[in-house]
Amino acid sequence: MATTERPQGQAIVDRAYEFLVNNRVWKSIFRIGYPNTPRNQMLAVATNVFLHLHPTRVHRTHVKITHTYCLGGLSFFLFLGLTVTGVLLMFYYVPSVERAYADMQALQTDVRFGMMLRNTHRWMAHGMVITVMLHMMRVFYTGAYKPPREFNWVVGVILLVLTLLLSFTGYLLPWDELAFWAITVGTNMIGSDPILGEVNQFVMIGGFEVGQNALIRFYTLHVIGLPLAAAIFMSVHFWRIRRDGGLARPL
Amino acid sequence: MVADAPAPASSRQRGAMPSVRPRRQREEELLVWPDLVFVEFIAALIFTITFVALAILINAPLQDRANPANTPNPSKAPWYFLNLQELLIHMHPALAGVIVPTIFLVLLAAVPYFDTSNEEQGRWLATPRAWPNLIVGMTVGFVGTWLLIIYDSSKHIVLYERFSVGSEAFRVWPPFMAEENVRTWPETLNWLKSVRALQTDINWHNDLTGVPIGETFIRTDLLGLPRGSIQWNVPAWIVEQAIPIGIMVGLPILLSLVAWRTGLARTRRDHMILLISGWFASWLVLTVAGTYFRGAGLELLWPWDVYPAES
Ligand code: HEM
Repeated sequence: MATTERPQGQAIVDRAYEFLVNNRVWKSIFRIGYPNTPRNQMLAVATNVFLHLHPTRVHRTHVKITHTYCLGGLSFFLFLGLTVTGVLLMFYYVPSVERAYADMQALQTDVRFGMMLRNTHRWMAHGMVITVMLHMMRVFYTGAYKPPREFNWVVGVILLVLTLLLSFTGYLLPWDELAFWAITVGTNMIGSDPILGEVNQFVMIGGFEVGQNALIRFYTLHVIGLPLAAAIFMSVHFWRIRRDGGLARPL
Repeated sequence: MVADAPAPASSRQRGAMPSVRPRRQREEELLVWPDLVFVEFIAALIFTITFVALAILINAPLQDRANPANTPNPSKAPWYFLNLQELLIHMHPALAGVIVPTIFLVLLAAVPYFDTSNEEQGRWLATPRAWPNLIVGMTVGFVGTWLLIIYDSSKHIVLYERFSVGSEAFRVWPPFMAEENVRTWPETLNWLKSVRALQTDINWHNDLTGVPIGETFIRTDLLGLPRGSIQWNVPAWIVEQAIPIGIMVGLPILLSLVAWRTGLARTRRDHMILLISGWFASWLVLTVAGTYFRGAGLELLWPWDVYPAES
């Protein structure tokens, strides 16, 4: 189809480039040459499903690190990292009161890189709570919630709640003292509401105290329910950024 | 300015109607590949390295297996909910656990519908008076929240007593306490020991600690049911609900009012910056207090007493 545009270069680089790009395999995957001309650079973004989250061009000020500190992007990055490490953790973890704690111990001692896997997941989870909050502060102080972006701010608040819930449901899973009492204290707070509290708490933990029912509920929400919801709202969030004309800037 | 950028060439109606959203000026724009993708790549790289390093250096905690029979003291929620747990110490549990966070989230989501101006959006604190409002809001939130926590934990008593009888150095200052006798908190002021002391250290009349609203107002007997027996404990209600709500609603309004009268906050954006900054600071203080300053029995302690060095 399109002939490959390519810049002048040294012969050896040229030949390497030719070898890498000018073949059916590369073109079957990327359709275009290496993005080193404006045309290919725009095509690279527009034709790639992942990069397509972006527009092909952005305003100069938005590329400056100090405008966003990349905080929204990093929240998303952490979400992806948590998904990958979380899937790996699921290989070793069974959400049963009898097994959960022993599984965690086995993961840490018997599984190669198991401890590191668990650490990464845990620190990324804390990290995501922090980056999402900081992202919210940056959006607030840059006044980026103003029209026409009001609704995306609301979507953001929902994402904030989902992030906290994801972290909270994950907290119970190791089934150690820390997990058990943190969730007991947390759900008791909900249960202390005199009108609907008891019902809410009962529904949340599936009983009158944190036990097997709570564990399976938290687990299911943690590994599928909430991530799915978060992914959906993130799609809306990103879509709206594009629809609202990219990031906010002075009119 | 961007507003007078040329209309899209494709529309063929030069000068007819300006497009609603001003066309972007191409020179002001950069290509996403490589400029933005590069930044994102570097950010992702730095984060990957950071978290791998963290994961190698610090192990996630795994304590003993959960044992419902053995309640640790203190038992704490995850750190990002310790702000709510801190609130719980000071007010009715329904307020702290459910009502305050719910109302707060609704108000947070409503910010853009309240502040609808478009002035200087998309730039850091670019409206006039943005910085003063941020600084005042954060300072008030920070100091105010600490003062409230200290008061409700009776630490002002400790301070007072330390100043009046403490070491030699303290005895000469403040001067009006220099002489003998100002040793303990005066008994007549016991109701100022904490918010709760209003309930426990005042001789409330029995009529007030058990107002039978079940008999007076809630006439379940009219429905053929037995008469309700709800007793309204007025002092407890004042301490657990009226004062906390008054503080949480009243102080921000007061702050906004003062800022408005002094000319610090004139636009809605000003008020938003003032109040939300105040909230950020207050939230931070509550989280830090709940995390580092609450020991056994959730008593207010110094961090080194909460987490003694040997453990
Ligand atoms: C899981 C959580 C979240 C993710 C992954 C996320 C992701 C993003 C990303 C990638 C951007 C692009 C610009 C940037 O990086 O700053 C963005 C922008 C934005 N976010 Fe979020 N966000 C999250 C939570 C929130 C929250 C909690 C709020 C506010 C309450 C919010 C409100 C917004 C708004 C209004 C914009 C547009 C900013 C502008 O136009 O300059 N987001 N978000």
